[in-house]
Amino acid sequence: MSMTTIDPILEGRRSQPSQLIEVLQDVQEICGYIPQDAMKTVAKELGVPLMEVYRVVNFYKAFTLKPRGKNVFTICTGTACHVRGSDLLIDQVKGQLKVEPGDTTKDGLFTVECVNCLGACDLAPIVVQNGSYQAHMTPAKLRKIIEKTRGTKKKKEALNA
Amino acid sequence: MMQTVTLKIDGTPVRATKGSSVLDAALECGICIPHLCHVPSLKDTGACRICIVENVRNGGSSVTASCALTAQEGMVIRTNTEKIQKLRRNIAELLVAQAPNSKAVQDVAVRCGVKEVRYPFRNDNCIQCGRCVRYCTEMWHANALGFVGRGKNRRVEFPFATRPDFCKNCGSCTLYCPMSVTPCGGPMKRGEESLCGKCESQTVMTPGMIGACVRCDLGKGFQCTRHGL
Amino acid sequence: MPKLNHCSDLEALRQKLQEDRKCIQSTIIIPNGTCCQASNSPAVINAIRKELARQGMDKNVQVHLTGCHGFCEQEPMILFEPGNLIYCHVTPEDAKEIVARTVKNGDIIERLLYTDPVSGKKFRTETEIPFYQAQDRQLLAYNKWVDPCSIEDYIAVGGYKALVKTLTGIAPKTVIEEIKSSGLRGRGGGGFPTGRKWAEARSVPEDEKYVVCNADEGDPGAYMDRCVLESNPHLVIEGMMIGAWAVGARQGYIYVRNEYPLAVQHARLAVKKARELGLLGENILGSPFSFDVDVARGGGAFVCGESTALMTSLEGKVGEPRPKDIHTVKEGLWNKPTVLNNVETWANVPSIIVNGSGWFASKGTRGSKGTKIFALTGQVKNTGLVEIAMGTTLHDIIFKIGGGPKNGKAIKAVQTGGPSGGCLPVSKFKIPVDFDTLYETGSMMGSGGMVVMDEGTCMVDVAKYFLKFLQDESCGKCVPCRLGVDRMLEIVTDITEGRGSSEQISLLQELAETVAEASLCGLGKTASNPVLSTMKYFADEYAAHVEEKRCPAGVCKELIHYDILAEKCTGCGVCLRSCPYDAIKGEKKKVHAIEAQVCLKCGICVTECKYDAIAVG
Repeated sequence: MSMTTIDPILEGRRSQPSQLIEVLQDVQEICGYIPQDAMKTVAKELGVPLMEVYRVVNFYKAFTLKPRGKNVFTICTGTACHVRGSDLLIDQVKGQLKVEPGDTTKDGLFTVECVNCLGACDLAPIVVQNGSYQAHMTPAKLRKIIEKTRGTKKKKEALNA
Repeated sequence: MMQTVTLKIDGTPVRATKGSSVLDAALECGICIPHLCHVPSLKDTGACRICIVENVRNGGSSVTASCALTAQEGMVIRTNTEKIQKLRRNIAELLVAQAPNSKAVQDVAVRCGVKEVRYPFRNDNCIQCGRCVRYCTEMWHANALGFVGRGKNRRVEFPFATRPDFCKNCGSCTLYCPMSVTPCGGPMKRGEESLCGKCESQTVMTPGMIGACVRCDLGKGFQCTRHGL
Repeated sequence: MPKLNHCSDLEALRQKLQEDRKCIQSTIIIPNGTCCQASNSPAVINAIRKELARQGMDKNVQVHLTGCHGFCEQEPMILFEPGNLIYCHVTPEDAKEIVARTVKNGDIIERLLYTDPVSGKKFRTETEIPFYQAQDRQLLAYNKWVDPCSIEDYIAVGGYKALVKTLTGIAPKTVIEEIKSSGLRGRGGGGFPTGRKWAEARSVPEDEKYVVCNADEGDPGAYMDRCVLESNPHLVIEGMMIGAWAVGARQGYIYVRNEYPLAVQHARLAVKKARELGLLGENILGSPFSFDVDVARGGGAFVCGESTALMTSLEGKVGEPRPKDIHTVKEGLWNKPTVLNNVETWANVPSIIVNGSGWFASKGTRGSKGTKIFALTGQVKNTGLVEIAMGTTLHDIIFKIGGGPKNGKAIKAVQTGGPSGGCLPVSKFKIPVDFDTLYETGSMMGSGGMVVMDEGTCMVDVAKYFLKFLQDESCGKCVPCRLGVDRMLEIVTDITEGRGSSEQISLLQELAETVAEASLCGLGKTASNPVLSTMKYFADEYAAHVEEKRCPAGVCKELIHYDILAEKCTGCGVCLRSCPYDAIKGEKKKVHAIEAQVCLKCGICVTECKYDAIAVG
């Protein structure tokens, strides 16, 4: 991660260890993950041991160590969603995309994640597709969304061929 | 002149230095509270929960780790009630089921009264006592080791899982690790939950003597603070 | 707007804002919280605005965006004031008709009215709806009138009156006495008497003190705090200011979980606007009181809802709890005295100051005063946020407000208190909802999550679900929680997969008690509640799994099998196409069959079959 990208994030926060989580969240937002050299720079600039930065990145779910796919599907596994069948949605993505929650497909098109309750329980079960909340999701709807997303890519490839 | 506080441990009045922990106060006067993650001169974290005691107050009692409990004037502590014995035994049972291939863990399990292990044995090589991390951070200020991850995935690791160049190669992490000495009989097996008898760590405990530290050889495997006194 | 330098400036502003609002003839109120947006409210808002402009009505009809009202399943909703007319499940396509008929002529569009799922009756006004009638909406009532992005709205409905009253004439010690007399207890789960907490913090002879708002609502199935903070952030800030005045703090933090981006946004905006008006900062309203608030985001960890873990996280570190024999009111954030309270606790403070402790204490039971917001979800007809006086029975909440079972299956249990709470059977539904009663019955109030379960829910599976959750969220520091929860999960998984034995049941009981007694923090200490409560009240289900290798609710995959009923199958092939594991075979128009060895019992085929031709046995 270049200094030009990280400089504005560190602005006003240098030598302030308590700002570590906020800084890392900005890095995650901009880069889509936390690169190794970003961790080293943040450690140095905030005055926090590298070990601590590494620990924080690994402890909190908001941070990922690997880049995410083009399409991020986040399945809510809160109690209300569970009782209304979020397990079926997980089965559906596992079957369709052949990845476990937390992983990205080999072609980099999809990342599947689970989250422990988004607080929109009346609309259970919920899947967040690239930041947009999709309410009352069913396995059938999810399969169609995945196929549509895949299909768009295939169409683009066909056009470019 | 050092300030002291007086508290009662198992009915015995004990004078402790102000600011010291209940565990330190007890060990000072020969009351052996079993412990595993406690190391003198390093911060206590209350992680292993083997040193739990009952803190009697307000007509009831609360179970708390004695290493993380500051001794206060007038405190009433019970270290060996039936409740504590049962809890300690169950905790030790969990530990030995998780990491049976360590002399220290086997010794602690037997010391805490484990007679059978009711869980399937696993073969972990770390019980997350944190001694290595604390030596590295507090004693050597190297910050090369730390607890990484959460819950089941929590492990001791170097940054990016690679030994960094700022590791001082002091060797403390392996020297003080309870897993570094394996029992000669190998990992504990189901139905054979007892000490092998071949190692020096023969139990010399008398069940009738409550609270007395027997300076048992049991503690040798993990550098128990009372061992060798 | 110019900075307010004196309490009288605020009152003058309030008068002006109230006068201005009197001139508005009609208002279209559209909730636009997180769940509303998930239901497409922005498209409805745009459509209404466009249509009003097109018809030249945008000058005299005000469109007022508010936060979540708590009746989320009816979103997108529109409220018309005056008149209190309510439309539900509004689509952008309805905008034209709504403006032309209702806004212009006052005509009611019948199909958009709320239909009560129990009686089938249609209701015109919000106040008539049975879901709302049985509630006592003290906090949630504000959400209708306040745009969370507008400090003016908050002031106009009486906001910051409590602050003025405090600064102009109530000494800190008296504030604490008022809160004590009100009987307010922490709304985050602990139920600790708020006044006593403040008094302890005040008594510490230390200059630097903090007040913190715990908005790390991690309990799955609970979203009361999201709603309050997102929809009325100033109410929370005002409560914190009064608390800070009482204990002697000059700095406050609102710690919001990462998964609530809109709440973070609204809280930050509210702080900014309060600063601009001079309601936060130095010498507020000309008084000697100086106070400021910062909003911090969590990183995604349930354990950070625990007070010591939250404070460690605020300090920028890993959120591992620490032993609490020295309370955080004495040594908390940066080892300084810190008062940590839940969002709803802070939100209750202003009304106690304005209306008096006696008013608050007049509601509720002997040990639990005031009202409490619950998130009623699961297998009930009416799900949503419910605010009731303490002491209301579970039965009334689930049947009178919730409307009873959703899918025709009998209600079996209610889970309260999230992963720290327990499951209570129908036989316990007559108990009053009250901190102590719920605790004595083997559950707890927790932050307010209330999930209703029916005959189709396996209670052993519920215990497994919560253990998995806790295993995922445990910080891993102490042995009883890290290893104990893992082993409890191992045993319960064995039971749900047909390998359970009666020895394991007694071992599970003993292990659960060990984890509860010996864990370091609240997460571990309450981790056993789902297991212990389900074993106590649903022992028959555990027995069926262990002795008969049978799952009565038909949920545990290893104990059920899926069969296609030949007499009902039409050979349409929908199941074959929808199976992600290719476990179904069959030709078109011929009876299909499921290959038992391949079938992973995900249940997708059952949900897709239109002929009820797949039986679960």
